[in-house]
Amino acid sequence: MERFPLKASQVKQTSTYQSVCKKGSQPNGRGAHSIGDGDVVDVSPGPQQPGDPISPTSHGTFQLYEQAANNAHWDAVIFSGMQGDDDIPGIGQYDDFHTIDWQRDIARDRMRHRYIVKKRQDSIWDLIKGICPIGRNYWSDLNNSFSWLTWPQVFGDRREGPGAYIVSYLFYIVWALTFAALSASLVRMFAPYACGSGIPEIKTILSGFIIRGYLGKWTLIIKVVGLILSVSSGLSLGKEGPMVHIASCIGNILSYLFPKYGRNEAKKREILSAAAAAGVSVAFGAPIGGVLFSLEEVSYYFPLKTLWRSFFCALIAAFVLRSINPFGNEHSVLFFVEYNKPWIFFELIPFVGLGIIGGCIATIFIKANIYWCRYRKYSKLGQYPVIEVLVVTLVTAVVAYPNPYTRMNTSELIYLLFNQCGISNSDPLCDYNRNFTDVNSAIEKAAAGPGVYRAIWLLVLALILKLVMTVFTFGIKVPCGLFIPSLALGAIAGRIVGIGVEQLAYNYPRIWLFSGECSTGDDCITPGLYAMVGAAAVLGGVTRMTVSLVVIMFELTGGVRYIVPLMAAAMASKWVGDALGRQGVYDAHIALNGYPFLDSKDEFQHTSLAADVMQPKRNETLAVITQDSMTIDDVETLLKETEHNGYPVVVSKESQYLVGFVLRRDLNLAIANARRTMEGVCGQTVVVFGGGGGVGAQPPAGPPAAVHLHRILDMAPITVTDQTPMETVVDMFRKLGLRQTLVTHNGRLLGVITKKDVLRHVKQMDNEDPNSVLFN
Amino acid sequence: MYHKYIVIIFLASCVFFVSGTYEDKRCKCVCPSPAAVLNNTGGTGRSPFIDNVPPNKCNCAGVILPRIGNLLNGREQEFCPRCECKYENRNTTIIKVVVIIVIWVIMLLVVYMGFLICLDPLINKRAKASYQEHTNEDEDGTVGGPSQAMGPRGNVLNRVTHQQDKWKRQVREQRRNIYDRHTMLN
Repeated sequence: MERFPLKASQVKQTSTYQSVCKKGSQPNGRGAHSIGDGDVVDVSPGPQQPGDPISPTSHGTFQLYEQAANNAHWDAVIFSGMQGDDDIPGIGQYDDFHTIDWQRDIARDRMRHRYIVKKRQDSIWDLIKGICPIGRNYWSDLNNSFSWLTWPQVFGDRREGPGAYIVSYLFYIVWALTFAALSASLVRMFAPYACGSGIPEIKTILSGFIIRGYLGKWTLIIKVVGLILSVSSGLSLGKEGPMVHIASCIGNILSYLFPKYGRNEAKKREILSAAAAAGVSVAFGAPIGGVLFSLEEVSYYFPLKTLWRSFFCALIAAFVLRSINPFGNEHSVLFFVEYNKPWIFFELIPFVGLGIIGGCIATIFIKANIYWCRYRKYSKLGQYPVIEVLVVTLVTAVVAYPNPYTRMNTSELIYLLFNQCGISNSDPLCDYNRNFTDVNSAIEKAAAGPGVYRAIWLLVLALILKLVMTVFTFGIKVPCGLFIPSLALGAIAGRIVGIGVEQLAYNYPRIWLFSGECSTGDDCITPGLYAMVGAAAVLGGVTRMTVSLVVIMFELTGGVRYIVPLMAAAMASKWVGDALGRQGVYDAHIALNGYPFLDSKDEFQHTSLAADVMQPKRNETLAVITQDSMTIDDVETLLKETEHNGYPVVVSKESQYLVGFVLRRDLNLAIANARRTMEGVCGQTVVVFGGGGGVGAQPPAGPPAAVHLHRILDMAPITVTDQTPMETVVDMFRKLGLRQTLVTHNGRLLGVITKKDVLRHVKQMDNEDPNSVLFN
Repeated sequence: MYHKYIVIIFLASCVFFVSGTYEDKRCKCVCPSPAAVLNNTGGTGRSPFIDNVPPNKCNCAGVILPRIGNLLNGREQEFCPRCECKYENRNTTIIKVVVIIVIWVIMLLVVYMGFLICLDPLINKRAKASYQEHTNEDEDGTVGGPSQAMGPRGNVLNRVTHQQDKWKRQVREQRRNIYDRHTMLN
C-alpha cells in the first residue's frame, strides 16, 4: 500500500483497490512491471489505448479498470467488454478433470458484481435467485414421492394375485432382474456418470474440481429414472445419497440461466452447496439436517452467506414437501415415532455400547466395500458391469425373499424397527404377552413371546445378509445410495440390543441399575429407541458425520427428547470408527479413485519446506515464458514440448523476475484467437505479456509487431518463498482454494507448486502411493 | 404428425389413470377382532377398518360402531379403547401424473436405447469411418463449430445431428472413464 505507484495521481482509488486486491502479491507484479515502463501508461486513462479496450479476466489486472471506470468516458467501452465476459471465447473456463482457482473466480465475480451494482441490477438477481430453488426442489420432491409410493404398489398388485409362494417368489426375482437390468443398461447407454451414490464426486467437485457432464441433463434424467428402477428392484440400496446428486444436477442446470453463477465456477459451487442441502432435506424431510449435512459433509467452501441461502432453499424444499405430502402422514418426515418416553440414566451405557457396535459394523462395511471396489477396479470383474448388476440382483432377490424382514421395503423395515409395539402392530416382533385394554394408556412391560425370539433370529440373519449384500451393492453401476441400508443395519442391531435390555428390565426390575424406575408396571425400556440410536451409530460410523447426523436423526423421527442418546452413540461410533479405520466411506472412495481432494479436516503434521515439494526438482529447468521476447513459434513449441497447465511469465530468462502467471488453456485460446482475428500474425510475431500495451500498440497498417496477451495474464499470482513450511502452503491451498502457487527465492522465480504436487506430497508423507492421485 | 398422436395418447392415458377410484383421504382404524375381545381369548388377530370420514369423526364411534356395532352387544366401552385410528391423506393426482410421466420417460428411453443399439449402427455405418476424439466439449462447441457454416436448408437437422454427435462423444468418453479405464466412480 505504501509503495503504491498510483497514489500520487489518483488518491481516491487507492482505498478501493487495496480493499479488494491481495496485498501480498501486489508489489511483486508491479515491481516487475516497472521495467516495461507500463505504470505510467496504465495510470492515464486517456485515449492512448483506444485500440485495446481492456477486458478483465484475472484479478491481477483489474486495477486497470478501477481507474478507468472512474472516468465516465471509459465506462461503456470497458464494461461492455466485460459483459460478454471476454472477446476470446472460453477464457476463464476450465478443462475437464481440472482444478479450479477459487481466488481467480471469486475475483472475477467481484468485478462483475461491481458492474452490476453500477447498473443497479443487483436486486433483480437476488430475486431470480430466490425463485430458482423452488423449481429445483419441486422436482426433487416429485421424484421423492414417486419412488416412495408407487413401485411398492405395483409390486403389491403382483404379489396378491395367485398367492402361491413359489409364483410370487419367481415374480419377485423376475421383476427385480428386469428393473435392475433396465437401470444398468440405461445408465450404461445414456449417462455412465449417473451410477453410484455421487456424494464422493460431489464432494470433489465442491472442493474445486471440474468433471464435465457430471451434473448435466442426461445425468439428471438417467439418475432419476435409474434410481427409481434400482430402488424398486429390491437391491440393498437407498435413494438419499443420489438425491444429493440429483439436486446438484438441477442446481447446476438452473445456474446456467444466470451467467453470474453459470460462468463462474466458484460462484456455481455456492449454488451446488445449497442444492446438496436441499437434496438431503427432501430425501429425509429434515431441512435443518440438510443444511448441516451440506456444511459438515459435502461442502468445502461454505461462507455464511451460503449458509443462509441453503437455509432458505431448505425452507422452500420443506414447503413443497409438505404440500405434496409424499409420506402420507401429517409430519412430512419418513420415520415419525410417536413415543415420548423419558430414558433413564443407566441406558447411556447400552447407548454407548451401541455406538461401539455401530462403529465396528461401519468399519467392517467400509473395509470390505473398499476391498471389493479395489478388486473390481483392477481385475477383470470391472469389464462386466451389467452382468455384475444382474448377478448381485439375482442373489439379493433369491436370498432376501424368504426372510420377511429383508423382503419388505427397507424404509418400512426401519419404520417397523423404530416403532414401539402398539396395539395396531401385529408383527411377530411385537409378540409380547401383554393385554391391551386402552390405546392411550402406557404400554405395560411384558415377557417376550416366542414370536419375538423367532423375529430376533430372523433379524440377525437379516443383519448379516444386509451387511454382505450392501458391501457388494455399493459401487455397482446403478444409482445407489448408502444411507438407508446403513440405517437399517443399525436399526436391526439396535432393536436386538433393545429387546435384550427390555427383557433384562422385565426379569430383574429391582436391581439398582434401573434405579427403581422399572418397578412400576409400565414398560421402562423402549426397544424402538435403541433401534434409532443404533441406526444413528452405524450411519455415523459409515459417514463420520456427527452434528448433522444427530440433527437429521431427530428431525427424521421427531424425537427431540433423545438428542443426548443420539449424541452419545454418534460420538462413540465416530471414535471407534476413527480408531479402527481412518476414513469414512466417502473419503475412502475419494482416495480409491484418486480424486484431487485436499481434505480440510486433516492436519498436515510434517516439517518439509516448499522447496522440497516444488517442481521442477533439481537438475531440471522450469518452463517459463518471457514477458516480451518470445515469438508465437517459441510459445507453441513450449506448449507442445511440455504439458504443464500453466506457465509463469518472467521478465527475462536470465533475471527470472516474476511478472505473472498464464494458464495453458488461455494461452492456447488466445493464440488461436489472435491468428484468427488479427491480420498478419505469423510464427515470428512477438508475444507481449507486459504492461498495458501502450508501447506501439496500434501500428496503423501492416502486420502487427506484437500480439498483446496481457489480458490473459494473472498479474497477482500467489507466491511463497522457498523456505515456507509446507504446513503454511497446505493451509493456503485449503483456505484460499489455490490451484498453484509460485515459489520464489530472493525475489526470483524458482518453481511452481500445484495442487497435485501437494496431494502427492501428503500421500508420500503418509506412506501411501503418491501415484494414486490422478488427474491434474 | 406423430407428435400429435403421442400427445393425444399421453393426455388420454393421463385422464384414464387419473380418474381412478382411489381416494385421497381415509381414516384407518386397527382393532383386535371382536371375538377375541368379547370372549377374552386373547387372540392376536387384528382387523383394519377403512372409511372415508372427516378428520374429526376419525374415531371408534365414527368408523367402527356403524359397521360392527351390532356384533358388540353393548360392550363398546370395552372394545373401543383397543382401537387405534389414524387419519391419512395423500394426493393421488400428483402421484399418478408423476407415475405416468416417469413411465413415459422410461418407455421413451428404452425405445431410444433400442434405436441406438439396433438401427443407428446400420445407418451410420459408412458415414463415420474414422473419427477424431475430442475431449473438450467447449472447444468444438464454440470455436468455429460447423453449425455456423451451414446453409439455411437443413440447418436444423444438421444442428441436431451435430448436437447428437457431440453428446455421443461425451457419453463415449464417460464410458471409457468408467468402464474401461476405471478412473472414476468405482
